Amino acid sequence: MSGFTISRRTMLAGSAMLLASTAMPTSGWAQTPKKGGRLVLAADSEPRNLNPAIVASNGVFFISSKIVETLAEASFDGKDGLAPRLALSWEGAADGLSVTFKLRDGVKWHDGKPFTSADVAFSALQIWKPLQNLGRTVFKDLAAVDTPDDLTAVFKFAKPTPFQLIRNALPALSSVVPKHIYEVGKIEDNPANNAPIGTGPFKFGEYKAGQYYRLTKNADYWGKDEPYLDEIIYQVLPDRTSAASALEAEEIQLAAFSAVPLADLERISKVPGLKVISKGYEGLTYQLVVEINHRRKELADVKVRQAIAHAIDKDFVVKTVFLGYAATATGPVPKNDPQFYTADVPTYAFDVAKANALLDEAGYKKGADGNRFSLKLLPAPYFNETKQFGDYLRQALAAIGIDAQLVNNDSAAHIKAVYTDHAFDLAVGPPVFRGDPAISTTILVQSGIPDGVPFSNQGGYKNDALDALIAKASETLDTAARTNLYKEFQKEVATDLPLINVAEWSFISVARDTVGNIANNPRWAVSNWADTYLAG
Amino acid sequence: MSPLRRFLRTPEAVAGAILLAVLIAMALSAPLLFPGDPQAIAGPALLSPFQDWSLPLGTDRLGRNVLAELFHGARTSLAVGLAAAAAALVVGAVVGTLAGFAGGLVDEVLMRITDAFQTVPSFLLALAFVSVVGSSLGIVAIAIALGTWTGPARVARAEVLSIRERDYVAGARVIGMHPLVIAFREVLPNALPPVLAMSSVIVAAAILTEAALSFLGLGDPNRVTWGGMIAEGRAVLRTAPFLSIVPGIALVLTVLGVYLAGEGIVETTAVRRGLS
Repeated sequence: MSGFTISRRTMLAGSAMLLASTAMPTSGWAQTPKKGGRLVLAADSEPRNLNPAIVASNGVFFISSKIVETLAEASFDGKDGLAPRLALSWEGAADGLSVTFKLRDGVKWHDGKPFTSADVAFSALQIWKPLQNLGRTVFKDLAAVDTPDDLTAVFKFAKPTPFQLIRNALPALSSVVPKHIYEVGKIEDNPANNAPIGTGPFKFGEYKAGQYYRLTKNADYWGKDEPYLDEIIYQVLPDRTSAASALEAEEIQLAAFSAVPLADLERISKVPGLKVISKGYEGLTYQLVVEINHRRKELADVKVRQAIAHAIDKDFVVKTVFLGYAATATGPVPKNDPQFYTADVPTYAFDVAKANALLDEAGYKKGADGNRFSLKLLPAPYFNETKQFGDYLRQALAAIGIDAQLVNNDSAAHIKAVYTDHAFDLAVGPPVFRGDPAISTTILVQSGIPDGVPFSNQGGYKNDALDALIAKASETLDTAARTNLYKEFQKEVATDLPLINVAEWSFISVARDTVGNIANNPRWAVSNWADTYLAG
Repeated sequence: MSPLRRFLRTPEAVAGAILLAVLIAMALSAPLLFPGDPQAIAGPALLSPFQDWSLPLGTDRLGRNVLAELFHGARTSLAVGLAAAAAALVVGAVVGTLAGFAGGLVDEVLMRITDAFQTVPSFLLALAFVSVVGSSLGIVAIAIALGTWTGPARVARAEVLSIRERDYVAGARVIGMHPLVIAFREVLPNALPPVLAMSSVIVAAAILTEAALSFLGLGDPNRVTWGGMIAEGRAVLRTAPFLSIVPGIALVLTVLGVYLAGEGIVETTAVRRGLS
């Protein structure tokens, strides 16, 4: 075992330090970036495939975004909310048929080979378009990538594709992997999927199952003086309660993605030397959604769906389930989205009497036992909050005479039950909003999606007007017109309720005061951390 | 001395009996004292115990009344514990009697099946069964019984092996009674006491297994269970430890009560048999 696992001695030393630190005045934030040091942080899952070009998910990005870089990263103040990474500039043609990327000069892969436009072309055509979970929809019309020189890549589309969509997709979907590594053999079986090779500030070191991932400094990184850290260690701590103790014992310096349970935050924010940060996840908004199976005749009636929406006390959910670390939702685009969100949609205030009246109107009278009908409710097991909301929803539905029977499944069984077998009436799901409705949001309500596609419309919902709206937006090139179409889309979804958006939440990081440059971009936890440092 | 008085003179048996009586009273009175759904939201979330006397043990993360949950949880624990133990004892006794009385091939087959069940850890068996079939209360009871019937089966068989050689069994054969009638009317009742002596251990184990299944999220999610309460409380262990401690104590006392009372009964009957 290596030196950073938790031993009794270090625990004791840690608690002694803690005692000492309470006696000393805390130094606060007065810090200048410093080179060197090892950042140890909590990791709660161990993805096997670490290739972000294939698996574009936050669990993979959390580790591999430090190794494999994208063309651009999200930014608080950059133009269009982007900051350059491997691409320095991007320009869309007026006809929507091409996008030109100017690439960064002097970038080297971790094995010393130069990074060129051929790598971008290979990644886009061989991986993003055919293999990547999100790229399949966004890059579906990508026909070719021209490489006039080593530092220019021109994406050619068969059909007009909105530049706004491509731009919004860059931070999550454009991980570039080396052509010379992946061109031999089957891409899915390439050993680099488990030990990635990229251009990022950190190189993949080693992975010990159940223990840790180790990333080491890339001395040849293109960023001046970056990275600051020598090493990043992802200490695997699957038990959520242990992250807080490990932080207090100074075994780890950072717990991102709400590894510390929300209920523990108030206590831990008072621990000297630790800070609680709710910034740095603005680009990773999760939505708490009630998925509805429209094959049930009761639920196919919009009045019943409206009644369910009226029965949910969103403020209670935010206050109690999320302890305030969330916002109530009005529709399928989260409030914190700067481009598309509109508040001009029908809303459903918490009103049990109205919900009961709507159900009576729909013809579902209460029976002798006070129940109108029974439903099967499947809360997604990925988050504590989705499970708790399932418990709450059962109570909320009981109040309007709907008897909901909870069915608990593990992740694999839940995905199969909801998205393949459709063996649900209501489900609680946490879809992610990724900066553009066309990336992973419209798929939640669009019809004609084959069975088995996870996080898509598997409730049998079909609304021609909505489908037409989605189709039109996907080929509208003008940014303002496209944005307006998505505002229409939000209105239509909030009116017809193919699903019910309840709340929007992001994550919380807890870090020691010594960790600097935290949360300085909207996808910080899954960005490259080249400028993160350890003071003192 | 009557068995009851002998029972009452053993202090641990009395303690066990009192604990059990309290538990049964809780289970029976739950729907009267706390009518309606115990999982209904009753007040502010995470209220500490002894703050508000209408919610004496406080509330959990959603604001549900912990005391109501505790009372209704007693029903679940007891129901599953008793049902699983009863099923295990009935199946075990029948299989053991058949195997012991029939002998030969039947004995071999039944005992090898018993062996097969015994080689799989009973908790794993329950876990696998529930995760495949689903998790309603009945299924959980069956799942637990699945792993515990082998003990009673072996004990019953051993008893039957000695009983079947007795004179009265031979007598029954001579008067032409059907072998199955002999097995279940003459042999089984006499083989039963040592099997029943295992019941307290089986009930206690069944209650614990049910709690463990619920703790892992495999119990019936539509019912309050103590294991489920502990699991939910675990997320807030540092800020609201009572949410795990209260059902934990209930669980410990229940298992202790069942075990002590069971031991008391066994000792009482053992003394009686010894004297007779």
